Amino acid sequence: MKLKTLVILLLLALLSSCMPTNIIDDILMVEAEGFDYIGHNQILGTATMPNYVQSGNPGGQGGGLPSTASMMRYVSGITYDGKSLVDKFQPEGQRPLKIGKVRVMLFDKKLAKHGMRDQIDFRNRDPDTPRDLTIAIVEGSTNKLLTAQDYQTQIPISRYVQDMIQQNNEQNYPTSNLSQFIYSYYGNYMDPFMPLIKKIGNHLEMTGIAIFKKDKYVMKVPNKDTFIFKMLFEKFNQGVYDFEFAPKKHIAIRNVHTTINYKVKDGNSSAPDIYAYVKINGQVRQAYVGSISKSRAYRVEKPLEKQMEQKASKLVRTFQKKGTDPLRLGDTVRSFTYNFDGKSWPERYQNAHFHCQVTVNISQTGISQ
Amino acid sequence: MFWKKKRLEETDKKNKPQTIMDLFQHLKENPDFAHFQHQGDHFSCWISFFKTLVDVDYVHRDVFPCIYDEKIHSMKDIQEQLPIETIIRTKDLSMIQSKLLEGYIIIQKNEADTDCLIIPSIKIEGRQIEKSEVETSILGPKETFVESLDTNINLVRKRIPIPQLKVEELRVGKISRTRVSIVYIDGIANVENVNTVKQRISDLEVANLIDATVLALNISDNDNSIFPQFIDTERPDRVSGAVYEGKIAVLVDGSPNALVMPSTIVEFFVAFDDYFLVWHIASLYRLLRLFAVALSAFASPVYIALLTYHYQLIPKDLLGTLISSRSSVPLDPVMEVIVLEIMIELLREAGARLPTKVGQTIGIVGGIVIGTASVQAGLTSNFLLILVAMSALAAFITPNYRMATSIRFIRFPFIISAQMLGMLGIAFCFIFFVCHLLRLTSLGRPYIEPIYPLRVNDLKDSFIRLPYNFQNTRPMVLRPGDVSRMNATRTHKKKGKHKADIDE
Repeated sequence: MKLKTLVILLLLALLSSCMPTNIIDDILMVEAEGFDYIGHNQILGTATMPNYVQSGNPGGQGGGLPSTASMMRYVSGITYDGKSLVDKFQPEGQRPLKIGKVRVMLFDKKLAKHGMRDQIDFRNRDPDTPRDLTIAIVEGSTNKLLTAQDYQTQIPISRYVQDMIQQNNEQNYPTSNLSQFIYSYYGNYMDPFMPLIKKIGNHLEMTGIAIFKKDKYVMKVPNKDTFIFKMLFEKFNQGVYDFEFAPKKHIAIRNVHTTINYKVKDGNSSAPDIYAYVKINGQVRQAYVGSISKSRAYRVEKPLEKQMEQKASKLVRTFQKKGTDPLRLGDTVRSFTYNFDGKSWPERYQNAHFHCQVTVNISQTGISQ
Repeated sequence: MFWKKKRLEETDKKNKPQTIMDLFQHLKENPDFAHFQHQGDHFSCWISFFKTLVDVDYVHRDVFPCIYDEKIHSMKDIQEQLPIETIIRTKDLSMIQSKLLEGYIIIQKNEADTDCLIIPSIKIEGRQIEKSEVETSILGPKETFVESLDTNINLVRKRIPIPQLKVEELRVGKISRTRVSIVYIDGIANVENVNTVKQRISDLEVANLIDATVLALNISDNDNSIFPQFIDTERPDRVSGAVYEGKIAVLVDGSPNALVMPSTIVEFFVAFDDYFLVWHIASLYRLLRLFAVALSAFASPVYIALLTYHYQLIPKDLLGTLISSRSSVPLDPVMEVIVLEIMIELLREAGARLPTKVGQTIGIVGGIVIGTASVQAGLTSNFLLILVAMSALAAFITPNYRMATSIRFIRFPFIISAQMLGMLGIAFCFIFFVCHLLRLTSLGRPYIEPIYPLRVNDLKDSFIRLPYNFQNTRPMVLRPGDVSRMNATRTHKKKGKHKADIDE
């Protein structure tokens, strides 16, 4: 018995060296991956690694190893789509490439239009990729976006992209990450979406939301309509809506809180009625001089409600025409309907009546009257 | 084997005096043994004692004048006239021998007579009661135990002035016959516990007993456990508090420590000063200590596990700091940690062993040389230095010294298992320690008691300390003879009538 325990302990001690290790300063952590479609089922892949530039040893008189500044920053190459970039690039890697800390995955519009079936399947299968990965569609080349040297900021591009998308997700853009995307992609009666970004000059910009039908890009929700999209998609706060109540006269409203409630009537009929009740509690951030005060807030509320209702209906109408359902309306109808007829839903979705009722409450108009 | 027996027989024969004359003959070899005949006019006798053991002043001042007095004519007269409460008259040779060696005076009529008077005149040499140094106290009593058993019992007895306080004396040690006292309150302490303690101490087979901690190691439930199973304390107030609770205290002659038994693991993280603070603050301090223990045991193993295996778990903002601070370190994380941990342990051990005057330099050596220089030399990373220093500091927060050493030790198995299997290894190691703690008992009572078996009632004075009016019952784990401390309804009674405000 004692001998057995001893042997087991000895084996544990001796065999432990067989475990592969990932010592953080001995690996290259891939932080961003970019995929550009170049036709014939081939993609140009780009992977960037962080470059933690630091003097060799702070406070030390030249002791220790050379600094990390000499580490490579990115690799790119052509491969067939759906292959892990890390495996492809390993021969080029100075050190083992590891995907576990990847933050951002970017796809170009061509790849999105071509269809991302293989990519999504691979991401869903790979145990190493994190699920809260930030994903986005790039207008233009992802390779250029990731390898450009002319950004204002010095921080790694992966962090720049992720920071930008994540903070926008808390405001006007709907929550998007890999798990959300995969949920919508594999779920019934819903379609996924991703934010769209673009490199303009020496900085990046969010340009809208890319809407997919199954795995293919179909349309773009422009930046000015993202508030409406998010309002219909989930409850949120801290969004800013710019309301043009008269030509060239704007009021910017920040929503303190927005809730969305759906009701569905006749879910199994050929033309179901979908009612969306939106409640917005907002405060005025900026206003055209003399356009609004606490006592006259109702004069803005009514036209604002009307405009929002129109925009929402128009947005949904476009989705219906394209046959895509990023707002997960089909799923909502299913949840309201007994014995939901899922087979005929794609046809019935086109005919569904969408009714939107927006209630705006402006609770504050600024600190001066 | 049987040579040994033979040898023992030989030595025994030689050493064991058969008559009193043999004994004197044997003891006369000692220069401090006084053996002389008093030749008086009407009474003469033989007096023998150890000059180094008896209180010479007392003997000269009180005993001899009385014996030399002309009223004394016989041994019986001495017994009657001498103003001492206990004078033993015996013929028992072994008793005479042991009393002689404890500092009693032997008086005989003739040198060869076995009929002796034994007069107590023990000299007590020892230090004064001093301020506590190991378990320092800010608010509470500052007295500590000293090396004399009688003084120690005095310190306990004056805090528990009731007749039910039992002090039972046993002798431990084949050669030394050290006095060991078991102190408890009859009626509150569990009888089974008392019997266990008595049995374990009296069955103990040792040659000599130097200190109470040695006794604790010898009578503990599991000798191989790294966790101490009995609290050792130098504070009489803590001992009496425990005795009032229904615990049993064991004091050893020559040891400034008392053992308190049975103990649960939570008590090792209780400083007695907690009882002198308001309950919220005391509870917070206890939770802080618990957190410190976790930090001390897990900080460096988790560092190894994360940096070696689970780079995914490192927060993104920490990544840059970690990589850049480690980039110039040539060692693996595990070697880096072991080097630094051993350095800190060396520092601590050196600090404990060095004389106080030299000891001050250790702080400077430790702080500057090991701290800054090891980073500059590229031996360890800045980040780890903070982590290890913090966990070393956290280990010192444990009030009980023996527990603190255990806490410092358990991080090493964790470090090794973290290197072997990463977080999984830490989990395995943790499971091992939890299983060990689950099986551990103190005097047959479960060691991690308020947690498992769960006794909600005992949680009131464990990680948190509820106010005193909630402490109505004695700890369940002790199975005390009298469960309730005080009347529960009266402790919760309002202090007085509510008086209306002036303007009400």
